Parts: sequence; C-alpha cells; structure tokens
Amino acid sequence: MRDRLTIGIAGAGGDGVVVLGSLLQRLAASQGYFSQMPRYYGPQIRGGASGVKLSLDTTRASVSGDTVDIMVCFNWEKYAELEQELPLGINTVLFYDNAPPKKGINLPERSFQVGFSEISKELTGTTAAKNIVALGLLERILALPENLSKGATAQDHASALLERNGLALNAGKRLLLEFPFAELKLSPPWDASVKVVLHGNAAVAQGAIRSGCRAFFGYPITPASEIMQEMQERLNHGNGAFLQAEDEIAAVGLALGASLTGAKSMTATTGPGLDLMTEMIGLASGAEIPVVIVDVQRCGPATGIPSKSEQSDLNHAIYGGHGDAPRVVIAAYDVEGCYRLLIESFNISEYYQTPVILLSDQWLGQTTVAIDGNFLTRDYSVCQRRRPGGEYQEQYRRYELTEDSISPMAFAGDEGLVYQATGLTHNEKGRPSFDFATQQRMHEKRWQKLAPLRGKDELVEVFGTEEARRGIVAFGSSAQFVLKTVEDLGLQHRLKVCIPELIHPLPDKLASFVGSLEKLLVVEMNYSAQLHHYLRSQLDLPSDTETYARAGGLAFTRKELSGPMTKLAR
Amino acid sequence: MMKESSYRTGVTPVWCPGCGSFALLNALTGIVLPNLGTPGHQVFIVSGIGCSSRIPAYINAYGFNSLHGRAVLIAQGAKLANPDLTVVAIGGDGDFFSIGAGHLPHAVRRNVNITCIMVNNFVYALTKGQTSPTTPYLRRGEGPFLSLQFYPPVDPVLDMVSYSVSTGASFIAQGITADVPHLGWLIQEAIKHRGFSFINVLTPCVTFEPPQFFKTIREKASYLKEGEPVELPDSSREQPWLHDSGNITLALKLAQTPVLEKPHIGIIFRGKES
Repeated sequence: MRDRLTIGIAGAGGDGVVVLGSLLQRLAASQGYFSQMPRYYGPQIRGGASGVKLSLDTTRASVSGDTVDIMVCFNWEKYAELEQELPLGINTVLFYDNAPPKKGINLPERSFQVGFSEISKELTGTTAAKNIVALGLLERILALPENLSKGATAQDHASALLERNGLALNAGKRLLLEFPFAELKLSPPWDASVKVVLHGNAAVAQGAIRSGCRAFFGYPITPASEIMQEMQERLNHGNGAFLQAEDEIAAVGLALGASLTGAKSMTATTGPGLDLMTEMIGLASGAEIPVVIVDVQRCGPATGIPSKSEQSDLNHAIYGGHGDAPRVVIAAYDVEGCYRLLIESFNISEYYQTPVILLSDQWLGQTTVAIDGNFLTRDYSVCQRRRPGGEYQEQYRRYELTEDSISPMAFAGDEGLVYQATGLTHNEKGRPSFDFATQQRMHEKRWQKLAPLRGKDELVEVFGTEEARRGIVAFGSSAQFVLKTVEDLGLQHRLKVCIPELIHPLPDKLASFVGSLEKLLVVEMNYSAQLHHYLRSQLDLPSDTETYARAGGLAFTRKELSGPMTKLAR
Repeated sequence: MMKESSYRTGVTPVWCPGCGSFALLNALTGIVLPNLGTPGHQVFIVSGIGCSSRIPAYINAYGFNSLHGRAVLIAQGAKLANPDLTVVAIGGDGDFFSIGAGHLPHAVRRNVNITCIMVNNFVYALTKGQTSPTTPYLRRGEGPFLSLQFYPPVDPVLDMVSYSVSTGASFIAQGITADVPHLGWLIQEAIKHRGFSFINVLTPCVTFEPPQFFKTIREKASYLKEGEPVELPDSSREQPWLHDSGNITLALKLAQTPVLEKPHIGIIFRGKES
C-alpha cells in the first residue's frame, strides 16, 4: 500500500489518452483521492503525441515525481516524443499495446505487452475502446472499489461512455490476474469526501462568475480557450453578454465598452493575444476603465510552442505598451489561486479603475487537479465600483482629484452624471488637454492610486522559517515545483520561499522578504530571467543572488531544481 | 452657424471653419436627439481617432473618444451590456475602412442594434492630408487633393457603401453634410432601425481639398426617393429603375455607382430588423 502513485499514459491523438486519464482521475476523486494531471499534446488535433501524467495522492494534490510508477503506452512512436515528460524509471511497471519499441527505449523489468487494442476489437468490433480496457486494468491495480465506475460518474457523458463499453472495462479488470500488484495499491484516502476535479482555466471562469462578471469577450487561442468556452456556457442564458470576437483587439474593446456601462467585464488569452490587446490596455489605464485580462502564458515568441508552458509574458504584462500606463499584474500559482485571484482581480480592477492582468500558464490552466472544493463555496468579499452619489448632480467631474486619487465613476446610462471621456490627455472633467501640468497631474493620479496595493500582504505567500537567511522567490506554477523540491530535499528549515501573487505594483511583503536575506535564488521559466530583472529594478537584492531561469516547454523537474537549491542551502 | 441646443456641451469644437463635422454635430444635437426625445444620459456616443472623432466632447450625452478604428467595438460592447442605451459609433474613413475595416463585417453579421456614422472626407486630415482608402484614384499631377499632387494614391478606392451592402448590413444610407435636415432625418431612421446601421456621410475637407471637389459631389448628388426613378451617371447605359430600399440587388447597383459621378443620397438599403 502506498500514499502516492504516478501514472503516465501516452499515445497518439485519438487514442483516448486524455479520456482514460480523466476517467481515472474522476473515479479516484469520487473516493476522496487528491490528484494532479498535466496533459501533454502537440500542435495538431489527431495523430500527434498525446500524454497525461496522473499523480494520485491520499493527502493532498501536489506535483508528481519525475518518473512514473505505472506507464500505459498505446503507441511507441508517440511515446518517444513525450519521453522527457514521462520518463520511465527502473521500477516503473509498464503496460504496452502492440509491439515492443524498436530501439532507444529500455524497457523496465516489469513490462507487459497487453493487447488493449486486440481485446477491444474482439469485444466491441473496433479498437476504439482500448483505453477503456486499460481503465479496467488500472482500476483493479489501484484497488478502487468494484463497480465504482458506474456510481461515480452517473448522468453524464463519461458514464454513458463507460456504460456502452462495459464489456471492455470488465475485460480489462480480468487482465493479468496472476500478477501481484499489491505494492501498487493505494492506501485509503485521508478523508473520503469527494474531491472536485477542475483545471486552472475552469477555476478562472468559475471565479469570474462568482465575482459577478457578466460580460465576457474572447477569441479562441491555445491554451486559454477553455475559459471562453466555459464563460460562453455560463453567460449564454440571457444572464450576461458573451461574444466570440473577431480578434483579440475586438475582444478587449468589447469588454471596455461593456465596462463603461458598469458591467464587470473581462477577456482571456495568451501571449499573442495579449500583444494585440496592448493598445487597449493603455487606453483602459489612461481612461481609467476597469477590465480584467487573463493571460494563460505559453512558449513564445511568435507562435512558439502553443501547447506548452512558459512564464515569458511577465515583462509584457508589467511594461507592455507605449506611454506610462500603470496596470496591476497578478499571478496565480495553483488552481485554488486561479479562482480566488480572479475574484481579487475584479475587486482591484473595479475599486482602482484600472486594467488587471492575471497571469496563469498552460501548465496551470490545463492541468486538472482533484482537490478539496471548499474554496468554491467560501465567502469572498466582492468589491463594487465607486459611483458618484447625489452630491455630484450639478458638477460631476469624472476624473476628480480625490484624496486617494480614485474618482467616482458613473455608468453610461446614469441620470444626471453625463460625462465625456477620452484617450487624449484630459482634465478632471474629462476634457481633452494639451498642457504639461495636466499631463503630469494625471500621471500622478493614475500611478498614486495604485500605491496602497503594495500593502496587500495577503497576496504574498511566504513558506518556511522566518529566521532563515536564504530564500527563493518564484511565481506562477513554477512555485509549486519549488515548494515540492524544498520539501523533498528536507530544506524547509534552511530555506524560505516567497511566492508573490501580486507582482506589480511590487508588494512591501516581497520587499521585506528579499530584504531579510543573505542569499537569494530566483526561479522562473523564461530564458531572460524577467522576474529577476524586475526585482533588481525595484529592490536592492542581496549581493549573493542567483537565478535559475530557463526556457519553457518542459515542466521543472525536482532533479534539476535540487542543484541550485542545494547550493543555496550550503 | 451653431444652433443652440441643450444637447451641446460648452466645449468649442477644434474643427476648421467650414468643416463638415459641424454639420454632423448640428444634425445630431439640433435634429436627431431633440426629435427622438432621448435624454442625453441614455445616449452613448463612441468615436475613433480623427477630426470628426472629436465630436463626443461636444455632445451632452455619455461619450468616449476611443482608439483609431475601434469605436465600433466599444459601441457594441456597451450596447450588449446595456441594451437600453442608444449607441452611436462615429469615425472617419480611416477609422472604418482602413485600420478598423476588419471589425465592420463582424458588426454587420452580429447585427447589434447600433448606428455607425462614417464621416467620409476622402482624406486623412488630422495627419495632414495623406491618402485614405476612399481617396479617388488619380494620376500624378492631377487634382484635386492639394496635399497629394506629388504622391497621388496608387491603389483603387475601397468602396465603403458596396462593401456594406455585400456584407449584408441591415440598414445602409448615404448622407451629405451640405444638407443637415436630410442628414438628421437619415440618422434618425438609422437609430430607429433595430439592427446594425451604417451611414456614409459625404463631407468636405476644407483644408486638404480644393473647394471644387466637394462642390462637384454636391452638384451631382441626387436624392433617393422610394418608388421613384433613380438618377444614374451620364456614363451609365442602364435604364433607371424605381428605387426600392428593400431590394438588396438594386442596393448593390446603387452602391456601385462611382460616388464622384453620381452620389446617391438617402436610404440605400433597409433590411430585416433584429
């Protein structure tokens, strides 16, 4: 019996790899198991490589080990493309369909050729149910209760699928009966409550609805499209405005239009889309229009690797665009954070009347996790835009210089508060202005109004002993790998870790974290060490500061991170 | 020249004396809004960038002077989020048919109930006289654009009206700033039409065009009247037909008439409402 188990599944697109992984994840979640399942796929719909790495855990969802305990391979050629993501260990138990690999891949000792396709064909007339045969086998190995599959996924598409393929499922359960898999059995989950299964993109969409977002405009782009699809489903019943726009300029333009009438409005995209939105982000900053933009980062530049993660849009998020255009940049590092921080993004955007960019990434956005669903029902404060009251009826000034630099904002349609705004430099009334003094004053207003955000300590997480003088700063999904590696290396007492969720403006708590260190390591997944340069531009870093920054395209492994971390702790 | 209207703000327009934009401002504040009786707070005027796009500051309604080419986006977003608003997008020929041209067919097919007014002066005026997609094709040294004597446009004109017809806009009209009452009436009809409306407003640029350019347009202009024969250019060998704004095929023929030979003023097409 064991507490953790990592299962790799690889095949060609169309083999049912993701379906198999998802079914298994949901079945386990219905019993109370935590899990995390990143998916790996190429830039094509069918015929490319497709893989998942499902890590089941009895106590919590965390990043998987570098190698897999069980591997199911439907196609060796495609596996070769995913070998980096799904390396076989010497103890891996391997099940493969069809012929053994030709060369270059060393089969582990316990490798079994199982005719998944053959069995499927025999029983159902097609090879399409081979993934369900494999599901039956895995269910038995994990010692998930009998007939679980029926009860767990009742009344949905997946259960219908299983129902139809009952023969294949049962055949899978009878496979390799003589082989003892006892050591692969999972211990009972720590608590048996059903876990919710979702990925970061779904969490973003659900957070949006929770925060009262009723206007979403988007353009399909990998790996952010799931957000748009879920918002379409949720807003398409007359309870909001949804449009699939003609491009990303349109998407954010539509959102700004909706926001001017008072609707909480957002869009979601990835790097190339953020590029197109940049001019509008400047407009939203200058004309002080609330809008939330989610960037599910992928490898760039240009088309890069659309289906793989990178953290290389940080510079763009913080600095992108012409003219000094302050905005807020927030980064989620786990799925719960995607939900909570989307609500927080709207709160900040509405309160401060500013564009907020929420950074996610492909790994976070598309990795499905099975976790405790409490965060979905917890209380969150939801902030509303400050609107002018009766005192303004006569002389409403849209950009009035107030003590906190936030001017009450009328909604287009409000009686007695008519105003005209512009992307031109403008005075308090919103009238175009061409003089230096106004330009200077309005810059001060827009930058200064964001200053209190620096004090938002709750948007900076610090792990480890306060007295430690050696620390790591990491953001986004990379932070999960950092935390796990620190723990695996047993360095919790020597190193502390700071994960800023609020990136810009730079939070005080991050500054004091860095200020308390003698040695700093900045870990990030982009070639040019963007976070490190950002920190350097704002803070005095310890003279002993190192970075571990590399291109995206492959999740961090604990093996690679242990080098720089051990060195930091030494 | 300016009419007193409660729909005017106190802001003085920046336009050149004699600019066609004054006519649009007068039509909107002196005719359209008073006649419709819509209070200013229920009206949202969104503009792009260019001379005519300065207009929101002069109208006592909610207004937003946005980005070059993007007024139609802000307008649609606002209308979708608050359908009670009367939403008007205003821009120039550069806005709607150059930098923002990609947005127009999508606005058309969505048929969101907004009114789009293109103030077409055939030139980039605010940047001092460069060619626009609607600048007439000329040979080197030919008039009439003073700024273009040495670098005349080399590409054919993008015909905005036939473009709107061919993409299936549900209300298409052509107005002229020389006739403010008629322009006002057209805009009123466009606003009343439940669906996407597009009005091409023929406008002089008093700075970058010699007076005879717009004078020719004005003289050749003919008004479309429902059920009456349409006027055709001298070069046309076709028999004039009776104007039927519900007929898309006839609308396309009207739209394809070169605007410098026979500008048709009136409702070119009025299709299904959304």
